[in-house]
Amino acid sequence: MDKILALEGVHFQYSKEDPLVLENLSLQIPSGKVTAILGPNGTGKTTLLHLLLGLLKPTQGRVTVAGEPHKSYSKQTLSQMIGLVPQFETVPFNFSVFEFVLLGRSPYLKPFQLPGDEDLLITSRAIDQAGIGKLEGKPVNEISGGERQLVNIARALAQQTRILLLDEPTAHLDLENQSRILSLLKRMSRSGLTGVLTTHDPSAAIFAADHFVLMDKGNIAAQGGLDEVITPENLSTIYRTPIRVEKTNGYTMVVMENHP
Amino acid sequence: MNKDHFKRLITVLGLGVLAILLVSVMIGRYPQPPWMPFGLLKTDPLARQLVLNLRLPRILVAFLLGVVLSAAGTVLQMIFRNPLVEPGFLGVSQGAAFGAAASILWFHNHPLIIELSATFFGLLALAASYFISTRIRYGGWVLRLILSGVAVSALFSAGVGILKYIADPLTQLPEITFWMLGGLYSVTWKDLLYVLPFALIGIGTVLAMRWRINLLSLNDDTAFSLGASITRERLILLVTIISAAAALTAISGVIGWVGLIVPHLSRRIFGASAEKSLPAAMLMGGGFTVLADDLARTLLPGEIPLGILTSAIGAGLFIYLMVSMGLKVRRDG
Repeated sequence: MDKILALEGVHFQYSKEDPLVLENLSLQIPSGKVTAILGPNGTGKTTLLHLLLGLLKPTQGRVTVAGEPHKSYSKQTLSQMIGLVPQFETVPFNFSVFEFVLLGRSPYLKPFQLPGDEDLLITSRAIDQAGIGKLEGKPVNEISGGERQLVNIARALAQQTRILLLDEPTAHLDLENQSRILSLLKRMSRSGLTGVLTTHDPSAAIFAADHFVLMDKGNIAAQGGLDEVITPENLSTIYRTPIRVEKTNGYTMVVMENHP
Repeated sequence: MNKDHFKRLITVLGLGVLAILLVSVMIGRYPQPPWMPFGLLKTDPLARQLVLNLRLPRILVAFLLGVVLSAAGTVLQMIFRNPLVEPGFLGVSQGAAFGAAASILWFHNHPLIIELSATFFGLLALAASYFISTRIRYGGWVLRLILSGVAVSALFSAGVGILKYIADPLTQLPEITFWMLGGLYSVTWKDLLYVLPFALIGIGTVLAMRWRINLLSLNDDTAFSLGASITRERLILLVTIISAAAALTAISGVIGWVGLIVPHLSRRIFGASAEKSLPAAMLMGGGFTVLADDLARTLLPGEIPLGILTSAIGAGLFIYLMVSMGLKVRRDG
């Protein structure tokens, strides 16, 4: 299995006075697959994603992209390799959907350069691919939460990266929008994209991912395929509530039981 | 707004501003308000002198002032992700005011010395805001700069208060007060030459980076993932455009509201993307300031301080925009 992103013995704390957020974490992300990083709220999932992106540097240990540390790539090269769909993104100015998705082309432009015809074309294609063609001229602050998340993914599509990091992409969305977003992610992974999504929802992880990483209190509780990781014991332990895992017609379902 | 529509609109705007500039040359109180007949330029040497040595440099400085304040407003609002920010933010205006007052009080009241001192203290305020923000250990980049900008502004404004308190009430105090009200009554070609390099570097840099400014208005993690060198690019924009604003403020005194209201108007007409709204705001700001200065020097026999006029018109427009819902400030923004 080709490992495109890896963490080796990573410790991380925001400053010397703060507690460790991640402790001695080692992790490998397989190429061309969707990996779900699953765990309760506040367990360090977003921090982990920011380390994979290169926005944060480990206090100790090594983070690599295609075998090399982030600093061996230029910022431009890195942004052509790894895209991000952030969890919260407030946009104080009301860009149109097209203008917003067009920003995905910036890794290919110099600071003084304006987007050209090719960038406009790629942007239109990304908007179509994400299935939001009818929103193109609408202001980004006047569309629904689900549409907004699709716009963020369209921007990542315009960025044309091999790796896409998604931070809780389905949080606060209804089932239809969850399914639209996760299905789009699965389609993208079939055409070679490596996806890494964080989620606190095991059902979303099971729906979209091929590879699972369970996190608990800044550590990795388990990693591997569906059957190794998504077990009642693992889930009950990290979520601190009794959880059943049921299989019906080849589908895996996670069911909460009454809290004791 | 598509490309062709934008091109048409910006051409109309450009021609309108050019017309304002040309007409302004003939507006004034000589020989009679509000208008000098064009033919007088051929026959009256005093009229020629007046136009060439007083009105022309003054109109050009007013134009540059409006362009730079509007550009600075757009850039600051976008990179601080806050639609209510203007160039007075980060302590620049108060720093410049302190520099001017200190020069009047202690160094020299020669206009050039006042200008240099105001520019120096304006930039010093920017640097102080920046360095204090790097020492604050909580909050994001924007919050830290806002906090330190507020504190630095307050320090310099307290400093101005002290200087006014100890100034000679008969000679120095009126000069400080009039400078702080803002006006272009003493502008010469020399002043224009002095600010031109600052203005051109500032204008050139922000225009060249106008699309990139959109990227810098996103959250830090998103901007980083899209390849922006966030701190470096924001600093380049800030230093170049704030230097230009400080240099012009040194000539004009504190001119409020242009940098706040014009970017709003421009975004309302041209959309949020700075690729279009920045050049449009610069033209609108230039035209607006020249018009306001025409009024300042024509309406009354004595000069009305320009800062008072821009504040009155700007605040009026601001109220209109808020009431008419044209100005939307997001609570979570």
